Amino acid sequence: MDCIISIELGTNAVRIFAFDMQGNVIGFAKGAYPTFHPVPDHSEQDPEQIFITMLYILKNLLSEKIHPQKHKVLCICFSAAMHSVLAIDRNGVPLGNAITWADNRGKKEAQALKNSPLGKKIYNATGTPIHPMSPLVKIAWIKNHDKERFKQTWKFLSIKSYIIQQLADVYVIDYSLASATGLLNIHKKNWEPDSLKYAGISSDKLPELVPVFHAENKLRKEYQTLLGLSARTKIIVGSSDGCLAMLGSGAWKKDKATITIEDSGAMRVIGKQVLQDKKQRFFNYILTDNYYVSGGPTNNGGVVFEWFAKQFGDFKNAFDIESSMEELIQEAAKVATGSDGLLFLPYLLGERAPIWNANARGVYFGLNINHERKHLIRATIEGILFEVYSISKTLEEHRTINSITVNGSFASIPFCTQLIADIFNKPVSISKNTNSVSLGAFLLSATEMNIYKDLDEAAQTVVLPDTYKPNKQNHSVYKKNFAIFENLITRLSDEFGAIANLQ
Amino acid sequence: MNQFLLQQGTSPELQLFPHIIEFSLKKNHSIQLNSFPETISDTLRIYYIMDGKFEWIIHNHEHILYPGDVAVVLPGQKLGGSKGFLDIGSINWIHIKTDKLDRSGKLLPGKWSCLSKNESLAIGKILYVNTHLVLLKAREVGIMLQELRQELVQQQIGYTAAVNHFLDQLLISIARKLSQQNISYRDFPQAFTKLENALRQNLAHQWTVEEMAGLVGLGTTSFTEKVKNYTGFSPLNYLITIRISEAIKLLKRQGLNVTDIALDTGFYSSQHFSTTFKKLTGYTPSEFKKRNVSKN
Repeated sequence: MDCIISIELGTNAVRIFAFDMQGNVIGFAKGAYPTFHPVPDHSEQDPEQIFITMLYILKNLLSEKIHPQKHKVLCICFSAAMHSVLAIDRNGVPLGNAITWADNRGKKEAQALKNSPLGKKIYNATGTPIHPMSPLVKIAWIKNHDKERFKQTWKFLSIKSYIIQQLADVYVIDYSLASATGLLNIHKKNWEPDSLKYAGISSDKLPELVPVFHAENKLRKEYQTLLGLSARTKIIVGSSDGCLAMLGSGAWKKDKATITIEDSGAMRVIGKQVLQDKKQRFFNYILTDNYYVSGGPTNNGGVVFEWFAKQFGDFKNAFDIESSMEELIQEAAKVATGSDGLLFLPYLLGERAPIWNANARGVYFGLNINHERKHLIRATIEGILFEVYSISKTLEEHRTINSITVNGSFASIPFCTQLIADIFNKPVSISKNTNSVSLGAFLLSATEMNIYKDLDEAAQTVVLPDTYKPNKQNHSVYKKNFAIFENLITRLSDEFGAIANLQ
Repeated sequence: MNQFLLQQGTSPELQLFPHIIEFSLKKNHSIQLNSFPETISDTLRIYYIMDGKFEWIIHNHEHILYPGDVAVVLPGQKLGGSKGFLDIGSINWIHIKTDKLDRSGKLLPGKWSCLSKNESLAIGKILYVNTHLVLLKAREVGIMLQELRQELVQQQIGYTAAVNHFLDQLLISIARKLSQQNISYRDFPQAFTKLENALRQNLAHQWTVEEMAGLVGLGTTSFTEKVKNYTGFSPLNYLITIRISEAIKLLKRQGLNVTDIALDTGFYSSQHFSTTFKKLTGYTPSEFKKRNVSKN
């Protein structure tokens, strides 16, 4: 039997899925790698450990599940977290660790650029919000603060480009991942001169741009032998996790949106046009020549609920946060919609869309003497989802959204999914494939192999049966709560800055 | 309990236990200047506070100890009163001579002990990675010392075995309590990050699963299960990913030879390194080094 393998280079781990040609999962493996924070604001990963981890679990998956069944691997397709930067020298050797999306070292550079006319121009050209996450800002930071590394750098890669280079000996980046660097003009689809000038580099410092379907590369001989794969196994460059999650989400229609909430989260829409926003609130990433994925990211997803569980949950067994969170959800379900007037602003990690304020902080608002722990639990969950709703409100200034699909471990907890339906007042479907990113990678690969005639046809095959209907009464309660939530964010803007200064 | 002082060489009770250097209970009723200056210990010392409040400097850190607390001083570490004298109160202590307890945490208690080699190593590791060897509220240690005293005095049938058994028990309790003391059991990622730092700081060490589990405060079974869930790897396989990725970085640097790299990254020989490296990467270390140098 033929099969397709997807490799997702995620924030904390690499996840590898094997699919049969109908898109059923026939094998899975994961391997985690650490993130280092040598100083606050820095967030780094070791590219060699990512490579070894990927190779190790890929080899095990192949030798334990794929080869014994005589499955033939037709292709390997990559996806990766966006915004990473890895400097390498002339010999291809990494100069230090890779800098991940969560790194904030460039916050001063980002602040200055964002408020300048050049910043606005670059945002409009590249579609990537001006933010420390952006590789554009990170490279500028290296130029300003790590001159030795900047001088020695032969190329600035993404983690995915490095992994593909190790396997196949080419320096490439797909237009999709490149469109999240702040360096690519998403309209003209070439490296943006203004960005290059700001970052202080020429385009030969960047990998070669290729389409997401690019499949010209072959595994090095040694890896063919090691993995038991042939030279005919295609290496498909693939896309970014965000864009592939959109493709695999089942929301491939103009009036649909998809919400992904894992640790962090995002709300996304697909379209043939870029969403131009004067307030620079959205990202616009290229998926293919015809399609843009637009939306807004939040820092404060499941990670905030996990924080709550760690501080206030019950732990009957050591480190058993899963049971602790389950019990919290059960308790939250006992509280009335709207938590009896208790609100929570979830900005424990500062916030990106829609307020783009790194100084934003968490707030419980409206506490009275009758509120119990269970109210705080429910308010916490509602607050996390209100934040996503606030992204939705800004998206709806540009698009009509009639229904929503959700994926990701937090958003797909049934209790949370129903809350999304009630808060957003829209029907919500949930993906039966829990991993939309890998499903997106499968659809992309299958399209490359002409199993589908194009991505439209591929995306339509994702059927989402399970629908959560909004409850009108609950929605009217949430509407009132949300009005206060929205006002609080605006009013607290100065105080966020003041309190962040004390921390 | 009354005061007592047993010392090796003078007290007949200790004749059969050459590894117990001193065992004592002291009730200090008055302060005498310079009664407790800082000195370097040459044995493993365990102090149990029965009564009073003691301000001590242990290994250059100030500690305030209250009844029920235990202080452990390792060979080579300094101990003394913060003001140079012994505070008013009662303390029970024992000084144990071990065959080996060095800075890398290698502990060989001696022939008297029933601890297995791996268990001793794990306990030694826990003692040395915990910089503050003070246990808060460890009354079980006080009870064990009392029972130890009973055995030594009463000398009933089987007392030599019983005494040595209590010494093992002391080491075990202290190690378990130490490894659990600083962990909240709520945040596995955080505990795992601490472990990972310890592994990286001492990659050349031959880590065992017992040692790693001890640092996270778990038994080996549940530790292995947690690590597998969290990382996708067994603890030792996860360690291999760290070893190999560090080795790759060193191989890509100029001027280091393969044997040194093997030992630095925790392989017992260049042969062992070579086999593991080839199995994982498809290249032998030398081939890999050549491939990355030839492009110069």
